[in-house]
Amino acid sequence: MSGVSCLNKIWFGMLAMGFLCYAAGQSPSGEGFGNFTQGMLQSCEDAVYFVLGLVGIMGLWSGFMNIARGSGLIHALANRSRSFMKYLFPKEKNEETIMMMLMGFAANIFGAGNSATVFSLQAMRMLDEENGGREEASDEMCMFAAVNMSMLQLVPITVIQIRADAGSAAPEDIILPSVLSGAAATAVSILLCRCCERRAAVRGRGRLSAR
Amino acid sequence: MNEIFAAVSGFFLPALLLLILLHGFVKKAPVYDLFVDGCREGIQSAVEITPYIIAVFVVIQIMTDSGALGLLEKLCAPLLTPLGIPKELISFMIMRPVSGSGTLAIVEKIAGVYGPDSFLCRCASVMMGSSETILYAVAVYFGATHVKKMRHTVASGVAGYAVGVWLAVLLCRIM
Repeated sequence: MSGVSCLNKIWFGMLAMGFLCYAAGQSPSGEGFGNFTQGMLQSCEDAVYFVLGLVGIMGLWSGFMNIARGSGLIHALANRSRSFMKYLFPKEKNEETIMMMLMGFAANIFGAGNSATVFSLQAMRMLDEENGGREEASDEMCMFAAVNMSMLQLVPITVIQIRADAGSAAPEDIILPSVLSGAAATAVSILLCRCCERRAAVRGRGRLSAR
Repeated sequence: MNEIFAAVSGFFLPALLLLILLHGFVKKAPVYDLFVDGCREGIQSAVEITPYIIAVFVVIQIMTDSGALGLLEKLCAPLLTPLGIPKELISFMIMRPVSGSGTLAIVEKIAGVYGPDSFLCRCASVMMGSSETILYAVAVYFGATHVKKMRHTVASGVAGYAVGVWLAVLLCRIM
């Protein structure tokens, strides 16, 4: 399944299903598509407010990361974390990219939602540049996105808050099962990604030798 | 153990900021100039992902408002209940890959209806902590690049999600 057709289909399918369901749920004397339109417009507004919040956070973190780059901190830290990242991204040479990906993972693990988005986006852009802006994602991009998508979160703070507010006797007792199942999810994603990489590499070599 | 995790999480970002600032100061880097330049780039990235965010927000709103989500729930139930997944959690599982705030609202509702220490609420909470918003991540991450073919990314992410969710139910039964 190629990426873009995949999102095109998912997005279209979900919208079409929404339209049909809404139409099917209308009684003849109902208010028609009034609520529907209103909801749609409201969600656009929500999206823009969300981005506005993101602008500040992204600005802040990109600013600080730029300091870290300029002062040589990224270089120093990247050297220390080499072995772990080397397993996930064996072909990646650029220290700054490795560091940015590591920050994305770390921010995800520590539950820093929007900051994690900032690091991850920046990392994706750097990978894109190294990929020469090609339309097909590199192994590194696939691995990075897949790991990030199933990344465990050490302390799901909002959920704990919800449970505490509802009067739970031990709101934190979900941390251990949540870390365990999250770690398993991440491991499965990594392994599957690695298998697909290998298969693609073998196929690529076959194609070359056939020529 | 739990308290340690919570403390580490709370300190991660402030500690990182402090480390960056101090290191920059010690190395005599032009911290202010570097900050402003980086900040400009960050703002640009945020603005450039706006179309993807709007696309995702609109589709979620329409799916929820129209009752399409409820329909999906009914369609998925016969497939998921044999795996030991409670039917009350199916709407949560469908929502999870799409929307973080939407799923939090469902957790809140489950906590209110069944109680925060019920099996259902613990299950939903564990699922929340062990998974991510896949669709949102794919749309936004790849939106920042020139990539049109994402190859095996989505499949790997979804497989991880499925394993995480299923394990969450199992672990909640025994822990």
